Parts: sequence; C-alpha cells; structure tokens
Amino acid sequence: MFAHWEAFYYIFILLTQMRSCCSWSVNNFLMTGPKAYLIYSSSVAAGAQSGIEECKYQFAWDRWNCPERGLQLSTHSSLRSANREAAFVHAISSAGVMYTLTRNCSLGDFDNCGCDDSRNGQRGGHGWLWGGCSDNVGFGEAISKQFVDALETGQDARAAMNLHNNEAGRKAVKGTMQRTCKCHGVSGSCTTQTCWLQLPEFREVGNYLKEKYHRALKVDLLRGAGNSAASRGAIAETFSSISRKELVHLEDSPDYCLENRTLGLPGMEGRECLKKGKNLTKWEKRSCKRLCGECGLAVEERKAEMVSSCNCKFHWCCAVKCEQCRKTVTKYFCVKKGGQRGRNESAASRRKNLRLRKKH
Amino acid sequence: MAGAIIENMSTKKLVIVGVILLLFQAFSFMVGGLIAPSPTTAVHYLATKCVDTIKHRQESKWFMPWGPNQCDKIRSFDDAMAKRIEANNIVFAVHIPLPNKEMSSWFQFMLVILQFDIAFKMFNQIEDGAMVTIDVGLAYRDDTVSEWTEMAHSFEQRKLSCNFTTAKTLENEGRYYECDLLPFMEVGSVAHKYYLLNIRLPVNERKKINVGIGEIKDIRLVSIHQNGGFTKVWFAMKTFLTPSILIIMIWYWRRITMLTRPPVLLEKVIFALGISMTFINIPVEWFSIGFNWTWMLLFGDIRQGIFYSMLLSFWIIFCGEHLMDQTERNRFSVYWKQVGPIVFGSFCLFIFDMCERGVQLKNPFYSIWASDVGTELAMAFIIVAGICACLYFLFLCFMVFQVFRNISGKRTSLPAMSKARRLHYEGLIFRFKFLMLVTLACAALTVIFFIISQVNEGHWHWGEHTVQVNSAFFTGIYGMWNLYVFAIMFLYAPSHKRYGDEQSSGQCITGDAGANSGEDIQLTTTITHVDGPTEIYKMTGKEAQE
Repeated sequence: MFAHWEAFYYIFILLTQMRSCCSWSVNNFLMTGPKAYLIYSSSVAAGAQSGIEECKYQFAWDRWNCPERGLQLSTHSSLRSANREAAFVHAISSAGVMYTLTRNCSLGDFDNCGCDDSRNGQRGGHGWLWGGCSDNVGFGEAISKQFVDALETGQDARAAMNLHNNEAGRKAVKGTMQRTCKCHGVSGSCTTQTCWLQLPEFREVGNYLKEKYHRALKVDLLRGAGNSAASRGAIAETFSSISRKELVHLEDSPDYCLENRTLGLPGMEGRECLKKGKNLTKWEKRSCKRLCGECGLAVEERKAEMVSSCNCKFHWCCAVKCEQCRKTVTKYFCVKKGGQRGRNESAASRRKNLRLRKKH
Repeated sequence: MAGAIIENMSTKKLVIVGVILLLFQAFSFMVGGLIAPSPTTAVHYLATKCVDTIKHRQESKWFMPWGPNQCDKIRSFDDAMAKRIEANNIVFAVHIPLPNKEMSSWFQFMLVILQFDIAFKMFNQIEDGAMVTIDVGLAYRDDTVSEWTEMAHSFEQRKLSCNFTTAKTLENEGRYYECDLLPFMEVGSVAHKYYLLNIRLPVNERKKINVGIGEIKDIRLVSIHQNGGFTKVWFAMKTFLTPSILIIMIWYWRRITMLTRPPVLLEKVIFALGISMTFINIPVEWFSIGFNWTWMLLFGDIRQGIFYSMLLSFWIIFCGEHLMDQTERNRFSVYWKQVGPIVFGSFCLFIFDMCERGVQLKNPFYSIWASDVGTELAMAFIIVAGICACLYFLFLCFMVFQVFRNISGKRTSLPAMSKARRLHYEGLIFRFKFLMLVTLACAALTVIFFIISQVNEGHWHWGEHTVQVNSAFFTGIYGMWNLYVFAIMFLYAPSHKRYGDEQSSGQCITGDAGANSGEDIQLTTTITHVDGPTEIYKMTGKEAQE
C-alpha cells in the first residue's frame, strides 16, 4: 500500500510543481479518505500524466516546452512560479484528471459513478430508477475537484491562482464537449429525441487551453500581498471577477532563451526546431526563428539516417506487416553562433555554470 | 348537426368552460415540468477489451467487463500487438447498466447507439464506403450470480461514414475521425435487470471482412431508456384521462342516439375521433411492467398513427361540412380525395415501422438504415409519406380558403335572408370559426413547444425548481389534444334545448343564465325547429332552396 502512496504522491509533485516533500502533508489525502484514494488513485495519476503529455505536445515548438525537470525543480515555496506556463500546467493537469475519471467511469471502473449525488433528491438506486443519474462528466469534475484542489492549502494569491486555473481546466473539458442528439420518436421521427454531451478527444481540450494560454490574464496581486484578512478578501474579490474559463497568472514569464539553473530552465541551446516541410502550420514553420534566431542562436542542419517501417499493411486490430525503409532526414537544431567555436564556448559556459553552482 | 351546445351556450358559460379547460391544460404542463424527471436518460459506456484466450471457442462463453469473473483485459491494442493477440480473440464487452445499478421494466425501452473511435493513420485510412461487420451477442440475467442467458446473436453490417476534419498529415496521426452515430440495438421492453453485450470484429482478409476500416481504438456505446419516473407520471396521466374521455364519449353518443334522425357524418367522425383518442389513452402499458411484451413500442406507434390520421381526417371533413356551397356531402366517399393521402401516407409509415420495429422484435440489432437497399426503401416510404402530407395540407388549406370565401359571400347576403336561414348560417359560421381558432391555437402551441424542447437543453432552472421542458412538452401536448377532443365532443354535441324547447320554437332562447343576465350576448340561437329535426338535417345537408 505504501508503494501506492508513493507513486501517487510523486505524480502530484510533478503536476502541481510545488511543495517540498516535507512541507506537503499527507493530511490532504487523509481528509479525502484512504478508501476513496485507493479507488481513484490510478485514474488520477494517469489523468495527470495525460495532461502533462498533452502539455508537451502543445508546447513542442515553443520556447518553453513543458519540461518535467523544470516542473520538479521548483519545489521551494518561494520559487513556485506563478507565470503563464504554470497556469497552463495546472489547467491541463486538472483537465486530464477530470477527463480520465470520466472516461474510466464509462468503462465501469467505479461503483458509484454519478449516482450517489442527490441530484434527484433521492440517493442511490432510487434516483437512478426515477430520473437517471447525473452525467459521468459531473462525476469526473467532482472527483477531480476533490483531489486536485485539495493540494492547495494556502490562502495566498498563488493558491487562489492555482485553484482558478484548475477550475479553468475543468471548464475547458466541459466547454469542448460536443452535444449529440438521437431521434427516436414514432417511426424514428424527432418527436422524441435524447441529447447528451460527449467527451471530445483530449487533444481538443489541449488546443482549447492553448488558446486560453495565449490570452491569459495577468493579475497584479503579488505586491504587498500579506496574509491578512483584508488582502485575502481582495484576492477572493479579484478572482471572482474574472471569468472561470480564463487562465490567470501573477508573474511574467522569465526569458526562456537563457539557461537559468535556479529556475531550472535549460535554455534554447540544443533544441530541435522545424523549418521546411509540406504540411507545417505557420507556427511550426517559424519555430526555428523563434527558438534559435530570436534567442541569438544559429540553426544547424544535421542529416541523420533513419530506419523506419513503411509500406505497411494493417489489419484490425493487431497485425501489421511492414517493410523496413532507410531514409535521410534533415533535422534542425539551435546552436551557439559561430559553429565549432560556439560549441567550445558553450562547453566553457557550462563549466562556468557548474563552478558557480558549487560556490552557491 | 344544427343546434350544437356551443351555439346555445351563453358566453359566460363558454368562458367558464374555457377557463376550466385552460386550468387542466396548465395542470398537465405542470405535471410534466415539475413532477416528472426528464423523459429519457442517456448513459455512456466504453467497451472493455477482453481477450478470448481459449483457442477453440466454446459456446456461450460470456465476457464480463468488471465485477467477479471479469475477463482478461487489455488497456490498449499496443499490448495486444506485443502479446500477439489476434483480432478474432478480442471481445468488446459492455455491461448494461453500470456497476451497482439495475435496469427495470419501468424503463419501457432501451436503444443503444454505437460509435467507433477510429484513429487516423497515414497508411491505414478508412476506405470509401467501408463496412464494419460486427459479431454481436446479447445476454441477460436477473441476479448477479447466475449464468448469462443468450437473448440474441447476430452478424450485423454497419456503414462507416467518417470524415477527418484536420489535415491528413503525419503530425495528425492518432487523432480521431468524426464518425456518424450508428444505430445498434433496440429492445421494446426492459424485462431483465442486467444485460451484457459481447461484440467482436472478426477479420477475414480473403472475404474482405473488416478490411480497410482504419484503426479502431475504442467502441463507445450510448444507451437510451425512458426514465422510470417519467413512465410513472405518464401512466398516471393516461389512467386519469381514459375514463374522462370515455365518459364524455358515451355521453356524446347518447345525445346523438336520442335524436330522432340518424347521425350525420360529422357526428360520426367526432365519435370516431373520441374512439381513437380512447384507444391511445387506454393504459395497456401497465402490462409491460409485469409481462415481457416487446411489441409494446410498435403497438404504441400504431395507436399514435391511428389517432393522427383520425385527427387529420376530422379536420378535412369538418371543413367540408361547413363549406356552405349547396352540394350534398354527408357521405364519407365524397372525401376520398382528401382522406386518401392521409390513409396512404399513414400506411407507408406503418410499413416502414413494421420494417424497422417489426423486424426488431425478432432481431434487436436490425436496422433498416444499415443496408443500402433498406435505406433507399426507408427513404422512399418517408418521401411518399411526406408527399402525402403536403398533398393533404394543400387540400386542407384550399378547403379552409373556400370556407372563408363562402363565409364572406354569405355575410353580404345574410340580412336579406329569412330569420331561420340567417340563424342557421350564422351558426355554421360561428361553429367553424370557433373550431378554426381552437385548432390553430393547439397546433401553434404544439409547434412552439416542439421547437422549444428541441432547442433547449432540456431543463430550465427557475429559482430553486428545475423545470423539465421536455417532459412538460410531452405531458402538456398530450393533455392538450385530449382536452381538444374532449371539448369538441362536449361543445359539438347536439343541444338538448332542441327537443326540450320544441314547442316554444320561434322564441329566442338564451342560455340558462341568459334569462337573468341580459348582458349575455347570444351569438346564435336554435329557433329553426319548426319543421322538426329532419328538416334541420336537410338544411345542414345544404339542401337549400336558395
């Protein structure tokens, strides 16, 4: 059982990028109860993981590319970033948890999906008989809220921001759901029709949140924010005035071009980018300029030979017959300006950095 | 049918009757909106992928997705690839309902919709006109421990109509196609507590079965059933309405038979309307709680069809009998041209319904839309029925137009007529206009509510109360047409004043209350009884000497 606790605990460190191991108490889970935790833990963990994976996909060609290392490093409370990217991570993680719970609910993984709430005034089976149960989505939302939001114990602006972004993530799942209807009246006519909301692909949620990320609102609350009752009121007031669908951040993002060890930022050197290609979007085509050029780095072309499967013949579900093909692929990477010299320099700077860290 | 109650009633009484009917109408809306839950529930299921490990397939081996004795599961097909599991060994299992719940015969029917999650792969795209062949079995049991009993087993084909909305590039591999909903299963009674669906997608390259269907990642099902609460409210309503319509019907027919003349066509049609309303009202559905009658759904359709065609015929005949154009009608055969399309149209729909729901009695997985021939046939039936409906409405509109033209023609010549004749025509005009108004109001209300219930999310929040718009639509509209039939039978029944006041004919008779309240405006009176009812009958038959 302890192994479970450990795994769960770990995934949450990853997802909330906060709290050192010691300051973060186990009490949060004791509150929700160990039994509840055991039922949902694997789903919650898988959901958080799918959120992070989606984050990586969405930011593959951005300067900040959702690095796990970066998420893990900033554990110290004062270094908990409250920037745009943190907002996105919170939103997508909570969305992922909600999404996975909803999905697993439809698989029949849980005993009480949506039905032990008192939506119809009656509990359990009777409500089901009288008026059906609430949507699986409602269930996913509630459990996601219970688990993810329980990690925010503080009452400062950062906690409020994280809670707001968690909520925005869940709203994104709801907002991207598609309404589908089926007619089943007399002779299949539409005199009777039933509609339901259907989960979209998780990619849709990611796209939606990425847009929200670009339009995230900045709230200036950090200055002079104590923990007094007055400032707490001000925080609550500010956040309640913002639409719950929007992402919110408190700080500006750091310069991701540069390597910053204290923040755990790797910098742009060595990053791959896309340049030429038939089916690239505008955003992808400009990725070399954005990642390398604008950060004062040069683009290096590297040719690599790849063996990949081709001319495949598929059969549902699990039979694939492929041939092996070799082809040369051109990849682009960001490097220090000046070619070979640049590389030496970079090595030197790395050494310098190391030295600095030792002094630290 | 001269001297109907509606003509003899004072305005005051008419208003009272109207208000009472309106109260009942509001009540029927409220029953649905406030007491009943939403009419139907949709439940989502995601099929669990089980592995059939046994090489030589035993008969009647059922795979449970969860609970005790659950099958060997794989989470994704990547696992299957590694374990060298073949397509024929994959079983998609869905247990209806979800854990800790049970189905009930109060749910009346259950229909299941199928959706495939098909991932886009550059080298494994869905071919044009791809058909999926599904090997599906349905089983039931009534407690959680006993063995599953097979209910149906079938090989079904469904046409995939999917499109990929984003660009078909390598980067978008793994994204899902957007596929249309596929009708999957329909059962007309939910007599058992637990159902289990086992779905296989057998692959046979030589026979081109399930080849080129893309990479199916998941099977999603949505089951729809009527809510138990709604069924209860609905039954209660039917049980209450049946005697009320039955009583007024008997009363109406007694009035007709008390006349010295034989009943005219319009009176018969109104009576037939009452019978078809009673037929639809009789709550035979109560039996579906105790018995496993899967044909109840089909029977309900037939009953509704009979009522609708009766109502449509009634409107035509009512218009025809109020044409005032000096031709003898009063025979059903006169109206064959107008009633013909109704009968033919409803017959088409009946055939269509028999092809769909009738066959489903035998094979719940059957869908007429699954095959090309079936789709064309179904479309043909529906189009013919649609043409019939258009034809009918053209006839009806033309007739209404004729009536109005004749009315305005008669208006000008009214003062010149003899009193008896004038009052007769005034009676006709009033009766017609009244029914026209009421019918239009009812039809408009039906259409408006239909649109609201289609557009709306299904329920409104109204303070602390939740108003179920869809349920209110069903109970309200059902109640409305009942009240409509009730009102027609009551108001268009022959007035007793006719024979009661035969001696004092010629007098201007006002309603009962008319004597003491002078402000009551008597719209028309029946004073034309000098020659006895047969003469009136002749006159209504438009045997005018004019």
